[in-house]
This record gives sequence, structure tokens and C-alpha cells, in this order.
Amino acid sequence: MEPEPLLRASAGLASGAPGESLLSAALLRRELSAAPLRSPPGLSASLRAFVTLAEKTLRARMVYRFSTLLSVLASAGGYCIFLLVWSEVYRHQGNTLALSPAQAFPYLVAAFVLNFTLSSALESRAGMRIARGLITVDLSKPMGFLPWHLAQAIGDMLSNALLALPIAVLGLVSLGHGLAPPDMSAACLGLASIVLGFLVNFAISFLTIQAFFLTDSYYGVAFTRVALHQAFSGLSAPLVLFPEPLRSLAACLPFRHVIETPARVWLGQVDRLEALRCMFQQALWATALLVLGNAVFRVAVRRVQIQGG
Amino acid sequence: MDVAVRTERLAKSYSRPRRHEGRWAGLRSFFSFEREAVPAVREIDFTIRRGEAVGFIGENGAGKSTTIKMLTGLLLPTSGTITTLGMDPWRERRRLATNIGVVFGQKPQLLWDIPAGQSFELLRAMYAIPEETYRFTLRETVERLELGELLKKPVRLLSLGQRMRCDLAASLLHAPAVAFLDEPTIGMDVLVKERVRELLVEMRRRFGMTVLLTTHDLKDISTTCERLLVLDQGQLLYDGDMSGFEKRFATERLVRVELSREPEPAALASLCAALAEQEASLTADAPRVLRVVCSRPGAAARVTALVLQHLEVEDLSVQATDIEAIVTNLYRVGTGHGA
Repeated sequence: MEPEPLLRASAGLASGAPGESLLSAALLRRELSAAPLRSPPGLSASLRAFVTLAEKTLRARMVYRFSTLLSVLASAGGYCIFLLVWSEVYRHQGNTLALSPAQAFPYLVAAFVLNFTLSSALESRAGMRIARGLITVDLSKPMGFLPWHLAQAIGDMLSNALLALPIAVLGLVSLGHGLAPPDMSAACLGLASIVLGFLVNFAISFLTIQAFFLTDSYYGVAFTRVALHQAFSGLSAPLVLFPEPLRSLAACLPFRHVIETPARVWLGQVDRLEALRCMFQQALWATALLVLGNAVFRVAVRRVQIQGG
Repeated sequence: MDVAVRTERLAKSYSRPRRHEGRWAGLRSFFSFEREAVPAVREIDFTIRRGEAVGFIGENGAGKSTTIKMLTGLLLPTSGTITTLGMDPWRERRRLATNIGVVFGQKPQLLWDIPAGQSFELLRAMYAIPEETYRFTLRETVERLELGELLKKPVRLLSLGQRMRCDLAASLLHAPAVAFLDEPTIGMDVLVKERVRELLVEMRRRFGMTVLLTTHDLKDISTTCERLLVLDQGQLLYDGDMSGFEKRFATERLVRVELSREPEPAALASLCAALAEQEASLTADAPRVLRVVCSRPGAAARVTALVLQHLEVEDLSVQATDIEAIVTNLYRVGTGHGA
């Protein structure tokens, strides 16, 4: 279609109209045909969009170098103090605990590296966007709400993994082979379990985000989720050291599959059959939570009241 | 008729916690679970044809943004029906999103921490924009809105006006069938606004794009739209072309008079009395320049005759009130709708 020259024609406005119309005669007569409607992007285009969003999130996370470095150093420093406390505990009561130091310390370092890698800015980001009404922008895009957040979580995870790498190397140097998987099959199972742990963690975050829709402020829900994660994921202490009622409670919750399960599978602290059983549970939790999250999203989005006008 | 948007008895009420008043109000509100329905849009009906450009105005809180959010599938209406491009926006949100562009003036769609150009790449992938379309829209937006250097800067470092330019461009990259633009020129200077208007006209001409434009700068509307919707307290106050709007609401006329010499006080007093009978008022801008405002429809001719009869006139003009003044007046005095 050859574009017609832009005419500064009178649009038939009465005298005193504040602006001179830019509309051409053809536009005023509506003689121009509208473009046909497009179908939503297909699978390969959607996949490309997904990868691009993950990549842009990764880029965005790497922008603030000083802040990122500081958070890595602070987390690692805090965890070193935590490890020193544990070593003091083992020095005094090592023989009475259910886990030997050779098992406990690689586990604690692996748990820290895993937690650092899998922790995502997803909840705070989504919480802020919901609170400020920016969620309208996300919902107006031709990408599902779940893939939209999954892509961002992958971007977060990749950036965290890059930053966690030096800490993992440091752990390997200080703990020797204790931090490495005992054989190739444990390594493969461990990697698969880490991926499943990421999915469980994402599914919990996705469900948490849905709760933000129902509350005007996200702090209460976010703090509850963090508290549950810190208590029951096995991050602070191996769950085997928990008193019985708490251990039973932790077994009924999904949080241990984010940290404890992948850490123990990676370190070969469970046999192959047990590892497969744990991974099956991880997959089950991830699927159930994602289905639930999606169902809650359908309800929550009906009640959405976009804040900020 | 090829319809872009149609609403029938469209209404939306928000459910809000009921706020208590008086002593201990904060504490009572904290423990109270009472809610109240606050109507935002009250049963409005309108149809927008494909390719049409419609200005959508109303004072703050009139329900414009709520209406746009319902039309784009972001909010579920309380009652009534909507079809946007033949789809139910709520049920077919993703399919609809492929074919619409949305700008919310206060809500940036670009990734905050990285350059706007990176967000453009993401949108290109997300909408699976055909190569030819992307080349055209990118060139048009970059050239007309002078985005060249801006696209390389992180969005957080851009001024509001610069960010809005990038945001608007981002929403038009996929050449949407309908562009819902909620205050797209906020924070922009006069020259850039002019370029935005030209861009919108060009996009309409090239792609037959339908535009629903909400703005507080009426020049945006008078230069790019052929139709006006006026919303007042959630109700549609006017739906028609711009000149019809003037005919309906611009009944006031201004008679500007330049005198050959300063008027005699007695003649002036006599004229004032005669004008009062015609519901007209007289003010002096300068000793020899007078302004007569007549609000009674069709009284301008009689008022002019009275002025000529009482004073020695050198020059005289009769002007209609401009749209900006009408709308300002409408917002100021209200319309009584929904009261």
C-alpha cells in the first residue's frame, strides 16, 4: 500500500478548535483497510520469547556490580560464621549427633550454594509490581503468566549460579572431595535433583505470588514463605538433626525438596533407589504446586484491583 | 461494519474495605471486614469501528483507565459485555494481546535496569513481529520520536518524557490493530507531542490502526481523532464528532469589542442593563477594549446589535468558546450525572 502524503487538512472542526487536525481526507473517510488479525505466537516463537526474557533478566541482574558483589560477600561471610558455630557444636558434641562431621559440613556448604543459586527475586519483583499496579503491563503481553515468571526465575538462577561458582570452588578447595559427588551416577542424579529443586522452589514462589493478588501488601505473605523456607528446607541444619515432630512436619512440606533433597542426592548421602524416590517426590510436588498455582491465578486475577490508577 | 470495540451496558464496581470515621477509626478499620462497592463505570455503551481514532476524555477518576483495562482484558467487568476485535477480552486475553498495543502513562513497560533497545528485542520476540513490519515500525518510531541515542541508555536513566517516548514506541512495534493509549504524552514537551501525533496518524494510515486515546491535552485529540467520548463519573456524557461536541456544549459566545474612544459612563450603564436582559455580561480588558460573554443560545446577534447601538465601535468579533475551555468548564461545574 503506497502511503498518501500527509495532509494538514481541516477535519471539519468548528472555528476555535485548539489544534489543527493532521488527518488526511482518506483517514477521515476511513477508506484505508485495516490489517488482518494475527494469531498468538506458535511454539517455536514462544520458546524464543521465553529464552529472550530469561536472557534479559540475567542481563538486568548483572547490572549492579557493586551491590551484587556486596550481597555475595555478605551472604558468604554470614554463612562462614554459621559454619564456625557448627564446627564448635561438633567439637563438643560431635559423637552424639546423628550426622558425622564428614557428612555434615559438605552438606551445609552444598545447602548454602544451592540456596544462593535457587533463591530468586521473583517474589519481591512480582510483589512490588502488583502493589504498584505495574502488573497490568505484564498481563497485557501475549505470554502466559506462568512462563513469564518461569523465564525470569531462570534468568535469576543463572545469574546466581555464576556468582555462587567461586563459593562452590572455595568449598571444594577447603573440603576436598567431600563436596563432590562420589561417582558419575550421583552427579547425574544430583544435577537432575537440583533442576527439580529449582522447579519446586519456583512453584512455591508462583503460588506465593498468587497470594499477593489477594492482599494489598505482599510483606506478610512473603515473610511467611521465607520463614517456612528457612525452617523446613534444611538450609539451617540437616533435617535429620530436627526433633521428631518437626522432622515429621518437614517431611509433609515441599521446602525440603528445594535444598535438602538435591544436596543429599548430589553428595551421595542417599542410595540410588532412595535418590530416585526423592526425585519422584520432587516432581510430584512441582507438578502439584504448579497446577495449584495456575488454578489460584485464575481465581486471583478475577479479583485483581489494579492499584495506582 | 468492521467493529474494533463494542460495549453493552458495561459496568465495573470496585470492592473496597469500608473506612471508619471518628475516634479509633484506624483501629476499627483494622479489625473490620466490612467492604463496600465503589462504582467506577456505570453501564456504558459505545462502538468503535476498525480504523477509527477516538479521543476518550473525562476528569480524574471518571473511569477512563478502568474502561481501558476492561477493554484490554486486564479487569473483569462487574456486568455488561465487551468485544474487542471480535474477542471476549477477558477469556481470550492472550490472543487479544497479540493484536493490541497498550500504553499506561504511569506504568512503564520497559525493563528498568537495561537499555530500552533490549526491551525492544524482547518485544520483537514476544510478539513474533514479522521482519518487514519490525523494520518499518522501528524506523518510524526511532526517526519520528528521535530515539536513536535513548535506546542505548538504561531506562532508569531516562527522563519521564524520554521514557514515555520509548514506551509508546514499544507499544507500537508490532503494529497493533488497536492501540489503547492512556495518557501517552505525559511528560513530553510540545515538539515531541507534535511528533507523537504525526506518528499515530502515520500508523493509522499504514496499518489501519484503531486508536483509543486518553489524554488531558486536548490538542492530542483534536489533531489525531475524529471522534470524542466524554466520560463523567462513570457515565458516557458525549459520544460523537468534535464539531457536534462544540455545538452541544459551546453555546457560549464571546463578543470582543474595540472602541474608537473611551465610552461615556451613562452609555455604558445603559448597555449593561440591556445586556443583563439578554443574560450577557460585560467586562473591560482595557479602557477601549471590552469583552461581552453571552451564554443564552442564539443571543450573540442581539448582543452585537446592542453594543453597536450604545457605543462607537471601531472593530468587533464574535468567537465560539474553544474545546479546551468547554471541557475545563465541564470539569469545573460538573454535569450532574451520577449525583
